[in-house]
Amino acid sequence: MTRGLGRLPAVLVVAAVALAAVALAALAPGSPLALPCTAAGTHRAAVVVEHSSGSVVTRCVAFSTATVTGEELLNLSGVAWSGATFGGFGDAVCALDSEPVNYSTCPGKDNYWAVFVSRSAGPWQLANVGISSLTLGNGDAEGFRYVPATGTPAAPPSAAGVCPGAAAPTPFRSVGNSAQTQPPATATLPASVLSSSVSTTVGGTLAPAATTLVDAGAGNAATAGNSLPPRAPAPSDGADPGLLLAAGAGGGLAGLALLRLLIRRRAGP
Amino acid sequence: MTGAPRAAGLVPGAASGPVPRAAAAAPGTANLAPRAWLVWSLAAVTVALSTDNPVYRGLVALAALNVLIAWLPSGRRVRPFAMMLLIAAGIAALINMLAGHAGADVMIRLPNGWPLVGGALTLESLAFGGALGLGLVAALLSVAPLSLVLEPHDVVDAMPASLERTGIAVATSLNLVSGFGRTFTEVRDAQRMRGWRPRGLRSWNEVLVPVFLTAIEDSVLLAEAMEARGFGGGRRTGYARPSWSRTDVAVLVGALGSVAVFVGIRVAGAPVDWYPYPTLYLPPVDPALVFGCLALAIPALASPGRGR
Repeated sequence: MTRGLGRLPAVLVVAAVALAAVALAALAPGSPLALPCTAAGTHRAAVVVEHSSGSVVTRCVAFSTATVTGEELLNLSGVAWSGATFGGFGDAVCALDSEPVNYSTCPGKDNYWAVFVSRSAGPWQLANVGISSLTLGNGDAEGFRYVPATGTPAAPPSAAGVCPGAAAPTPFRSVGNSAQTQPPATATLPASVLSSSVSTTVGGTLAPAATTLVDAGAGNAATAGNSLPPRAPAPSDGADPGLLLAAGAGGGLAGLALLRLLIRRRAGP
Repeated sequence: MTGAPRAAGLVPGAASGPVPRAAAAAPGTANLAPRAWLVWSLAAVTVALSTDNPVYRGLVALAALNVLIAWLPSGRRVRPFAMMLLIAAGIAALINMLAGHAGADVMIRLPNGWPLVGGALTLESLAFGGALGLGLVAALLSVAPLSLVLEPHDVVDAMPASLERTGIAVATSLNLVSGFGRTFTEVRDAQRMRGWRPRGLRSWNEVLVPVFLTAIEDSVLLAEAMEARGFGGGRRTGYARPSWSRTDVAVLVGALGSVAVFVGIRVAGAPVDWYPYPTLYLPPVDPALVFGCLALAIPALASPGRGR
């Protein structure tokens, strides 16, 4: 079938309308691609910062939206930081809480801020994306540790106890832990910061007594976690079906290309 | 007629007159509509450069390679182009490995005193450099049909009317590159027959100066020929407009669909990119995006001479 070029705009319009309809359907509520929307309310996420000296700073941050990015959470926490943007990676943290005081390269040649994420009071997982690309929900935690540039980075102390009852909008409650020093200017912290602490204790759980509260909140957060947007997958040992499909598709395309080349060579110039 | 002549030569006639159907494509030449080629090319480049993920980039590169091999006119060799791509990808990987020192898995450590390259050379930097090189390969393979499969006048036809002159400039430039290579070979062979042999950088003057002079002379001749045919005097006209077939529509839908899937999934917040720092890990792969990449291989299913 041959059509004149004059019909091309009509074809393009139909194709564009069809694509737009598919895109809208994909983004409609209930669609797997639809962005989630949880009921408005106070959600909480923890921020844990471990310096090279071993001192630990924690913050419990409240937010009303269903999710926040790692960058928004850090901004809400009131911990001073500076960063740099790296294309699709997002924003990397160059300096955090005055460490390093000055820097010329980011990430630093000798040390850098490794970023970790804990989902629903789970274990820390190294984030392979920038903090602007991270998405955190109620009960999650964002961790930072200033680590050497080489070697596998060690995780900061557990965030358990930093945010008690993360899913339930309870009144402000400061989470204390042993051997802690209150921040010098708690009153100047942003209103979103429910609790804060600075600890010189390295490693382990900061507040074992608060574990029950966090677990209770974590249960709710896990329920809400099903409706959270897709996140960067953590490294896993199992075979990724998408990766298997890609390998099959790539193998097929490579084989087809090779076959065509052989036929072409046999046919000659 | 104004503008560059079509393949058949000088083409008089007004655009407002009756437009006959396009003549059958000559053997070995492309018979997909030029605009379908342009849309496909732009879509493939967009997909390849919109993600850092080497899986998607590799799939786009393989799809584009299949399309190129399927449509490459007989007599044109793939090997020189493939070598150029391999060298470009290797250089990209090497530079990133030498200049980027982040990453947990150190392969070798160069003295810190060495400028730029001093420090740890890591597996992560090498992997990310490889992904950059793969993106370069995918992008070059995506635009290769515009110069290796299409004739220059097809590239001009593919441009919207408002970009007509830009299209002519692009087509002329593409012609100039291959012409430059041909002239270089001819001059070098001629000089060798006269006893010239390469002895250091200075000796290449005897080849490069005639090559540049010939290129300038060719440009002047081309400009005079275009002027004589009324270039710049009005809109470009032709005997026949390129027809639009089912194959063209399939290529168009596949290309636009591929871009739409990538945009949709990125808007939905799914991970599309891959950044191997600080520790190397397997890239995340979304099956929908794999199918999006495969949709770019649709032109490879239609060989020249079919589908119209």
